[in-house]
Amino acid sequence: MERTQLKNISISGSGTSSGGEYDQVKVNGSAHIHGDLICEQFKCNGSAHLEGNITTDTAKINGSTHFEGDVEVKEMTINGSTDIDGNLLCDELKVQGSSTIKGNVKGKEIIVRGSASVNGNVSSDEIDVKGQVKIKGDCEAESFEARGNFKIDGLVNAGTIDVELLRHCEAKEIGGENIMVKKTRDASGFKKLIKFFMSNHNDQLTAEVIEGDNLYLEHTHAEVVRGNTVEIGPGCDIKRVEYKTSLEIDPDAKVGSQEKI
Amino acid sequence: MENLISKKDLLEEANISYGQLYRWKRKNLIPENWFIRKSTFTGQETFFPKEDILLRIEKIKTLKDDLSLDELADMFSPSPTLTSLSAEELTKRNIVSQTALDMFNNFHGPNQSFSFNQLVTLYVLNSLLQTGDVNRAEGIDLLQLFHDQAQTVNNAGSELIFIRKMGVSFFILTPEPANLFIEPQAKKIAHYKISQCIQELKLKLS
Repeated sequence: MERTQLKNISISGSGTSSGGEYDQVKVNGSAHIHGDLICEQFKCNGSAHLEGNITTDTAKINGSTHFEGDVEVKEMTINGSTDIDGNLLCDELKVQGSSTIKGNVKGKEIIVRGSASVNGNVSSDEIDVKGQVKIKGDCEAESFEARGNFKIDGLVNAGTIDVELLRHCEAKEIGGENIMVKKTRDASGFKKLIKFFMSNHNDQLTAEVIEGDNLYLEHTHAEVVRGNTVEIGPGCDIKRVEYKTSLEIDPDAKVGSQEKI
Repeated sequence: MENLISKKDLLEEANISYGQLYRWKRKNLIPENWFIRKSTFTGQETFFPKEDILLRIEKIKTLKDDLSLDELADMFSPSPTLTSLSAEELTKRNIVSQTALDMFNNFHGPNQSFSFNQLVTLYVLNSLLQTGDVNRAEGIDLLQLFHDQAQTVNNAGSELIFIRKMGVSFFILTPEPANLFIEPQAKKIAHYKISQCIQELKLKLS
């Protein structure tokens, strides 16, 4: 489709715009945009406040931005802080700073290297967390990988769940094909530093129910664990285990009752 | 009270694993509202509407070799897939009978192509006629009801119930799940879930 040449806006200093359709939107100071924005590229190096929805190809936020509406983007990188009051629909999301999303998040690849908090549900092909994530709803992915801290109030449903625990991780329910929960063993400098400040926290996962085909759990506290092949590693405290094919229990684990189905 | 099945019993009865169940849920093959949480002596357990879930799993298992999971999800979703189909094709592919088609055309005027919602109406009418549950006059009543309540029918989450008492018959169209208590003399002749009909129809069309 032949498109008419779109204009750019660049706000350096402080400025306002009413929104509209553009090629590139660049904010280097502080900007207030009153309407919806459609553009190819959105870049904010200062602070921006958008009252409407935004649809863009790429969004890069190095400062702080507040979106009051929905955000639809192919590639989004957040190096500063971002608040989204609506839903976020993206192909690729990379959060290296902090972000808060009040709606749902739907994506293909979500990478968190800082902290992210979502009030709705999250669904993506891949979720990779090295940092901290809080989700109030459910979390669905083909692959869910976490090296850090998470708190999920709903169900984590993923094909492969691979978790290395840091401090107290929490999920209400966990379900999937392959579930692996481990305590981090390599103590890097950064970890040691964190541990130094938070010395009272033990690395641990708490969940009500964990269900899957192949399970390996360490330092997990759960009411019920159900699976085909179940391996309960050290530090676990599980009230009830139901298994189909095999069950192995580490001597350092506590299991209330077990039943072969 | 609807017949429920616990997750554990379901896995055993359908011979599937936890992984499969969670995968299908992720792919939207099993609707969210079928997961019913209840407290039991072992803590919270998940239950499912027994007939619906067993039927659905049976379908997924038979179809999953031919169709991708995404295609299956399309089929199970209540939203319409294709836009229209011609009258000729409908009878040729044996989706509905000529009788049903004629009745529909008599009621609505001659029609050459049918929208998805019209197809749903036709499909329901056809099934009722084929089973001998309704006669022609009653079929017209059904067409009238579906015509008047098009919005409700299109919402997909509704059920159609056909009741007869001492020769007098009538249709009831109600949102899902329908909980009706019928007096002993009255007889429930037919009970259709529109969402189920839409699935069957999609399967026939594909």
